[in-house]
Amino acid sequence: MSEPISRRTVLRGLGAAIALPWLDAMGPLASWAAAPRTGHPAPNRMAFLYVPNGKNMADWTPKAVGASFELPAILQPLAAHKNDLLVLSGLTADKARAHGDGGGDHARALAAFLTGSQPRKTDGTDIRAGISVDQVAASRIGDQTRLPSLEIGGEHGAMAGNCDSGYSCVYSSTMSWRSSTQPLPKEVNPRLVFERLFGAGPDAQRARRDLKRRSVLDFVRDDAGNLRNKVGLSDRRKLDEYFSSIRDVEVRMERAAKLPPVLAPAGPRPAGVPASFQEHVRLLCDLMVLAFQADVTRVITFVLANEGSNRPYREIGVSEGHHDLSHHENKPAKKAKIRDVNKFHVTQLAYLLTRLKAVREGDGTLLDHCMVAYGSGNSDGNAHNHDDLPILLAGRGCGTIQTGRHLKFAKETPLNNLWVSMLDRLNVKVAALGDSTGGLPGLGG
Amino acid sequence: MMRLRRTLPFLWLVSAALGLGAVLAVRVAPRAPAAAPPAPPDAFAKKGVAFLEKHCLACHNAKLRRADLSLDAFRTEASLLAGRKTWQNVVQMVRSGEMPPPKKGRARPTLEEVESFTLLVRDVFARADRGARLDPGRVTVRRLNRSEYNNTVRDLIGIDFNPAEDFPSDDIGYGFDNIGDVLTLSPVLMERYLAAAESIAQRAIVVPLPKPPQRWVGSRYLEPATPKAYKWRPLPPMGPLHSLHPLTMAGDYVFRVRVYAELPDKAPARVALLADGKQLKTFDVTATQKAPAILEVTVPLAKGPRRLGVTLLAPAGAKAPTVHVEWFNLNGPTDTRPPSHKRITAFAPGKPKGQQTREVLRRFASRAYRRPATNDEVDRLAKLVEASERRGESWEAGIQLALQAVLVSPKFLFRLELDDRPAGPGPRPVGEHQLASRLSYFLWSSMPDDELLALAAKGTLGEQLDRQVARMLKSPKAKALTENFAMQWLQLRRLKTLSPDPKLFPTFTEQLRNDMLKETELFFDAIVREDRSVLDLLDGNFTFLNARLANHYKVYDTNGGEYGKARAGKDGQPFRGETFVRVTFHDGQRGGILGHASVLTVTSNPTRTSPVKRGRWVLEQLLGTPPPPPPPDVPELPDSEKAMLMGSLRQRMEKHRTNPACASCHARMDPIGFAFENFDAIGAFRTHDGKFKIDASGTLPGGKSFDGPGGLKRVLKGQKELVARNLIEKLMTYALGRGLEHYDKPAVDKIEAALARDGYKFSTLVTEIARSAPFRLRRGKEETR
Repeated sequence: MSEPISRRTVLRGLGAAIALPWLDAMGPLASWAAAPRTGHPAPNRMAFLYVPNGKNMADWTPKAVGASFELPAILQPLAAHKNDLLVLSGLTADKARAHGDGGGDHARALAAFLTGSQPRKTDGTDIRAGISVDQVAASRIGDQTRLPSLEIGGEHGAMAGNCDSGYSCVYSSTMSWRSSTQPLPKEVNPRLVFERLFGAGPDAQRARRDLKRRSVLDFVRDDAGNLRNKVGLSDRRKLDEYFSSIRDVEVRMERAAKLPPVLAPAGPRPAGVPASFQEHVRLLCDLMVLAFQADVTRVITFVLANEGSNRPYREIGVSEGHHDLSHHENKPAKKAKIRDVNKFHVTQLAYLLTRLKAVREGDGTLLDHCMVAYGSGNSDGNAHNHDDLPILLAGRGCGTIQTGRHLKFAKETPLNNLWVSMLDRLNVKVAALGDSTGGLPGLGG
Repeated sequence: MMRLRRTLPFLWLVSAALGLGAVLAVRVAPRAPAAAPPAPPDAFAKKGVAFLEKHCLACHNAKLRRADLSLDAFRTEASLLAGRKTWQNVVQMVRSGEMPPPKKGRARPTLEEVESFTLLVRDVFARADRGARLDPGRVTVRRLNRSEYNNTVRDLIGIDFNPAEDFPSDDIGYGFDNIGDVLTLSPVLMERYLAAAESIAQRAIVVPLPKPPQRWVGSRYLEPATPKAYKWRPLPPMGPLHSLHPLTMAGDYVFRVRVYAELPDKAPARVALLADGKQLKTFDVTATQKAPAILEVTVPLAKGPRRLGVTLLAPAGAKAPTVHVEWFNLNGPTDTRPPSHKRITAFAPGKPKGQQTREVLRRFASRAYRRPATNDEVDRLAKLVEASERRGESWEAGIQLALQAVLVSPKFLFRLELDDRPAGPGPRPVGEHQLASRLSYFLWSSMPDDELLALAAKGTLGEQLDRQVARMLKSPKAKALTENFAMQWLQLRRLKTLSPDPKLFPTFTEQLRNDMLKETELFFDAIVREDRSVLDLLDGNFTFLNARLANHYKVYDTNGGEYGKARAGKDGQPFRGETFVRVTFHDGQRGGILGHASVLTVTSNPTRTSPVKRGRWVLEQLLGTPPPPPPPDVPELPDSEKAMLMGSLRQRMEKHRTNPACASCHARMDPIGFAFENFDAIGAFRTHDGKFKIDASGTLPGGKSFDGPGGLKRVLKGQKELVARNLIEKLMTYALGRGLEHYDKPAVDKIEAALARDGYKFSTLVTEIARSAPFRLRRGKEETR
């Protein structure tokens, strides 16, 4: 692993880039600012942030509904952003429930979160969930940016073992599913995220390299074309995965050649994973801001910690593991610590929102042109219930969302209805997504 | 001190005859206890259906289909066999008590009812399996995982670096990261493959080649040392002028020396150029100061420090000539290609270029694909090279490009087992090259070596299987079994991510963490290398310690610290140094992996021990009898009982078990975990936990009592069949790259019998797996799921 670096060091570098009037430098983006009425408004973006093990719901859900509500303890760090977000209560991830599959609520909670599909209970054979909302978006609007989507996380996949009651570890560490059988691994190392966004070297080198890569990929596709007939069915599925990945890479290279160059921020690049979890998460948040700002992608998923994560949070005086604590047995001391962990996570969200707001874009801020969903597929970690989930939606989605309210939905309203409504705001119309029953009313006021 | 010696509630005991074995053997896999009586042919139709009607069908019928499950079509044994997966699930749910759910006005089945129902169902499958046709199963094509990729590149190119460093982490199934079905290939990974292939090809073949390095030494810097600032330095009459050159590459070097001579009697001066004192070539020097000469010789030199020199050969005397030296120049090696470059691009001389290209590509692709490359494949690669040359690139750059193409080909990235008739019926042996790969990735996590490939090419690998397995286990590459199998099986990779509370455990440092892992690696390695009984994993009386870990354990060397013979005890000298030494225990407490700090830490919480996790770890990892997951809705204890939840951890947990929903499983897990309470959350020995004295005694369901880890190990040793069988299943999962299924049972049975016959020797375990039908054969037509 590379030397951990201080986030501040990086930020000094990145900060210069953020302060830089990128609107002048970056091709089509400039036109949104210069001429917001010419039919090139700033694009809408979506991001999904996941936090594991549920919440201490008593300290999460505001008492009042509507515009005049008080932020409970966990949401306090968001005080400065209260008017930029919605608190959404009553949403349910039904497919995270057992439905006869027994234990494994953590694995299911994350696997069902963006898919609305019941993950197949298997430790290996035939993993399956459903396509996730971010990938639906990526498949429709991904061609407008260098990267169709970006998947990042604060923790690597499990190192060993069966992660949750007979569910393969894929489920509890993956949020983004490209298809029902292809989970997308997340990038944890900020250096690699940066390189994915801005390339490892200058653009001229990249063009030369891509030329070679294309000839290699052409060759491989021709050379391996007949393999499918010589393997069994399940092998064929794996080979198809391979070929579709090749296509993705090719498309990305073509796009990079056509799109105006992205200027990599000057200054030091992230060198690796910072030792402190908070620094790590914030560095990834910075990279999210950069990715949106430079319009490298419009779709990001961020798993702050894997579902069932047992990380201690010593920076806030919690030395017990998060998952162990979440089985709080209603003991006040444990619940207080869970609340602190929840609050710590929300503090990182507040940081992200602050950064997004600090970027001027067109007639508003970058946050005005974002939809940042934040939450967990578990409600109370002790009960493992998947109804009344803790969900926030920040950003005005290019003026399509009237923020600053607490909305309460009817019991059993599918969480996926929210995703459908978010897709709608990207101009991605879908008949249904997973277990959705329609859109979510009232987001626009 | 309070000493609780309660016999814990015991729910799983079927009959006294089954004893502890059956108690520990509760598992969901379709394995009927040996003592199950043969059921009459239609037992299910009668008794089974009666149970269904009484307890299940109210919800799980064709109309309601609760949880998307209808059971009313299952009325005969034949129907059960058709729905095997469903029934595995049913048995698990009933057995764990999760189904039927408690409901007012409906009686739940008694424990006896549950037992006889699940036994009945499992017996149906057990009997069916006895008469089943051979089915070796079919593994989904496996993508190389990170360590396999690194090792394969190391063995293919001959350069050991970490090209997979930036790859996303591999997903885990059945506890291992080499399961074909789980290993996916994302676009991000594809990009990393492309980048890795570029960096590998650039290391393997260097384009453009660097010029041979030049080394100049002016005469005043030649040895012997001189205080004079010569430009031209006279050769001493006795002995040479020389200089030392540390060479990093072997090869042909050009050695040149600029000289002129003063010749009193006109006869030329005879001088020789030397390397390491040996004459390379002699010269007659007649050049004058106005027109000096350059003496030159081309000489093969080995890597390392080489001394080059020049010396006068003419006899000394009044009229002896004087030779003056201006400088030395050593230029080389003339061939700057690194060894990998030479090896990969070697070809038979004197053939047309096209054939040479094909020779190079055929050799490389055949090793990379781990089977002979076809003419067609070689042709395509050659065309890639030729196209690159037409664009004006060098031949080497073309070969480099072909290497990249091979390294991102699915034929390299996946362990394809190509079959001309993938849908043909019946089991058939995997090909010899496929067998070579199965063996090498099993034991080495890498590609087959030349010997395996040669045997496969001759078609004699199958015949020599035992001998090859023995050879492979002796190779240093077999360390991969420890790193990739053992560390995952024992869940120790997790240790790298754990962080015990630094306030409570200030001695837990990064170094100690690494020491812990090292101990277990060395221990497992010793079992492999010394071909010991696999049961030594439980109670082998030796381990490996360095000073830090010995201090952590508070053990001392009672045998004078003699290497390899240290004996650990409470008195004696402290161990010294970073190096691990082999240590023999003689107290029966620490020996075996259960006393390893790695295992004890990985099964603890950051702030305290977790007897539940330790107990579960033993049941799951060692005995292969994982307890079912906790029921979803654990009812809260009433307040009056909450108030009583005080006292030691043990007392609190025993209180917890008064809850019947928890008791059945915790009665199995907790006593095992309590046996290790003398080891704290990072594996140090302790007699007290806070103010409470440690009570490490326990009684298992079934009545077996023990005290402390030594006692528990004796109990576990009594379960050696379970331990062995579990290890077989885990190692087979790893070897096959898929989860085991009911049709693998005959193979596992056979290996189990052979292992017991042979004193549980590790090599027998590996050899028998390599011989087994699932390893040697492949199912024909696939089951449709």
